[in-house]
Amino acid sequence: MAFKYSGYAGQVLEVDLTRGKAIAQALDPALARDYLGGAGYCSRLLYDEIGPKTRPLGPENVLIIATGPITGTLFPQASRHVVAAKSPLTDIWGEAHAAGHWGAELKFAGFDAIIVRGRSPRPVYLWIDDGKAKIKDAKRLWGHDVYETDAMIKEEIGDKSIKLLYIGQAGENLVRFAAVMNDLDRAAARTGMGAVMGSKRLKAVAVRGTRDIPIAEPKNYMKLMDEFHAKMLADPFTQGRADYGTPSLVELMNEIGRLPTRNYETGVFEHAEEIGGKTIRRKYLVKARADFSCLQRCGRYTCVPEGPYKYIGGSPEYETLSCVGSKCGIGDVEAILYAHHLCNRYGMDTCSFGGTVAWAMECYERGIITPKDTGGLDLKFGNHGAMVQLVHMVAFRKGFGNLLAEGSYHAAQKIGRGTEKYVMAIKKQEIAGQDGRAQKSMGLGNATAARGADHLYGFPVLDEVGFEKAIRERFGAKYLPEIGEKLNPKYKGLMVKECEDFAVVVESVGVCKYGTMIPPTFFYPDILRALNATTGMGLKERDLRKIGERIVNLNRMFNVREGIRRKDDTLPERLLKEPSPEGPPKGHVVELDEMLDEYYKLRGWDLKTGIPTRAKLRALGLEFTLKDLPRRGAA
Amino acid sequence: MPYLYGDPLKCTGCRICELYCSLCHERVLNPKKARLRIVRAEPAIDKPIACRQCADPPCAKVCPTDAITRNSKADLVIVNVGKCIGCGACVEACPFGAIWLHPEKKIALKCDLCRVCVSRCPVDALSVVTSEEFAGKKRFDLVERLKPILMERIPVPRG
Repeated sequence: MAFKYSGYAGQVLEVDLTRGKAIAQALDPALARDYLGGAGYCSRLLYDEIGPKTRPLGPENVLIIATGPITGTLFPQASRHVVAAKSPLTDIWGEAHAAGHWGAELKFAGFDAIIVRGRSPRPVYLWIDDGKAKIKDAKRLWGHDVYETDAMIKEEIGDKSIKLLYIGQAGENLVRFAAVMNDLDRAAARTGMGAVMGSKRLKAVAVRGTRDIPIAEPKNYMKLMDEFHAKMLADPFTQGRADYGTPSLVELMNEIGRLPTRNYETGVFEHAEEIGGKTIRRKYLVKARADFSCLQRCGRYTCVPEGPYKYIGGSPEYETLSCVGSKCGIGDVEAILYAHHLCNRYGMDTCSFGGTVAWAMECYERGIITPKDTGGLDLKFGNHGAMVQLVHMVAFRKGFGNLLAEGSYHAAQKIGRGTEKYVMAIKKQEIAGQDGRAQKSMGLGNATAARGADHLYGFPVLDEVGFEKAIRERFGAKYLPEIGEKLNPKYKGLMVKECEDFAVVVESVGVCKYGTMIPPTFFYPDILRALNATTGMGLKERDLRKIGERIVNLNRMFNVREGIRRKDDTLPERLLKEPSPEGPPKGHVVELDEMLDEYYKLRGWDLKTGIPTRAKLRALGLEFTLKDLPRRGAA
Repeated sequence: MPYLYGDPLKCTGCRICELYCSLCHERVLNPKKARLRIVRAEPAIDKPIACRQCADPPCAKVCPTDAITRNSKADLVIVNVGKCIGCGACVEACPFGAIWLHPEKKIALKCDLCRVCVSRCPVDALSVVTSEEFAGKKRFDLVERLKPILMERIPVPRG
């Protein structure tokens, strides 16, 4: 029977790996209405299914891979899926997003989401073919990297057009920041979702489908999409993205002093140009390669044609260039490109990998970690050979790599000796390529993000390069000019709150933050028109805004239940106390407390504890979370 | 004889053409119901494939019900849906894999040159060309490339 709303596949695949069962169930229309799909859907489902007693790598953790109602449609960049579970890196709410062609194909195969429970006694993979699902043996795939697994499953199924999602060796070896990869080089990278998949002994999910994504208003739909496509292509940002992808941010961030260098010693890197977008385009670019329905085409292929770092494959984003590059003091672009390629093959988050190596390098330079710890590896900043060697060692948990595979927070806890001081992580997750001292909204956004250090949860970027028109549209003219000033903490609570609410809506309908957050081409009214034309839900803008707030508060309550409070919404001491030494932010620290106060006030959360108030939870229809509020005085 | 050409040097593999095609012809979003397909091969190849509207179409030759004909007036190879029995003989005969069966109706699907996709390709990888135009462009491209060498041999007065 057709699902109540168009746009959705209408079915969820429930997989119990302990019992070896995979059963198709109808999607709950109430969940679709209240949480849309994607990130929102996961947040509601996981709130009930897992909690403080759940061990992230135990069979009781639940892994959900979900698309949104717009995934697989013609809306610009409608290619996204989300992977969510309790995180083995942060021990709180975990979620990671990726684009590619896999999410769309899952819907064409008849499913909006896959819920994976239990643990298989032996390695398996899922084969979902047009509404039917099979659990297949993956013994011979186990131990193979992502590229090899891709080729082997395509060969076994006998169809090169199937779409694949998988883990590499990092996920198998339970590296705490292992990624769930898809379509070779796409990564749902953060919070260690790959380790959760590995703990369940699920190697891959292969999909193929011939089913429709029905459209509620097919008559107006084509005209509406033509309008959106024209708007996207007319944005001056689009051509730049297509030409350079995100690597061009290296030069830009360096200019504004926000390029983390040598574990956040500074935000200006002397080799920025050598590892930046222009160099990569000129010397290594093969071509731009788009994900499903993507007009921005920031995805690309690069190649190092010869030498020790020879490869051809997906190209790194800005975050990788800064985390594996400048953060480690590495200016050898070929080493960075190659390390990125290896991370993709092994299925590992480059942000946390780079952040952890940068932490180890600083401790090594300070003599706290010695060659005795590293097995003789010379971990001076800039030693690219050692960094590349560590990619292998971490993925296979060899020697010193076994310690780093825990992530910088857990590694520092194990090793002690004051190394904790140099951990640049928030809620145990390494910060990506952001220095909040150079952009205050980013400082706050990283501190409040539900999945630990995360620039994308709210993705406040409108103050980065002055999108004044969008700022006026999104927050109101009365907050200008302060809200648009990146070094001014004023109104950044408002900016982060509003950005988070919108960003979770974007991630719940299944579209990309490029085109919605930056460039700020599409906002609530556009998402609303697309959503209603696709699904026929008949939502209003205030419904969408409320859904966004609801999801953020539900994520928060998940974390409150895990013991997260205001004290955890903080930044590493370095960003709060050590002034930025050079460039435009020279002399600046992050004025976190005043921004947090503003943020909590706007959120309706308790100023002292950071816990949502009862009134706020009730207003958002989150009554079921009230029982989990700590008793008065116990917070 | 015009046909839909997809330039693999421009195509990024976004498959927006497949979606527009299925939307225009079937009023749903479903790449498997599109009349063209993007083939992605590693590393780094994305190639649009569509019917080339052959002068002597092998699909028409093998069709047992004469459902496929070359219509000289429209300058197109056309499938008569009413006559098609979904046997797939045309699929086997096409050397390009540019004709396939509708996943539900099981009738032959192929590009009908409606051009809906052409203007909507974000990177202008799609165009409708004739072989004569294609060859002409190639000839001129080649001669342009050879121009410096040829100019050296031509006895232009060199002052």
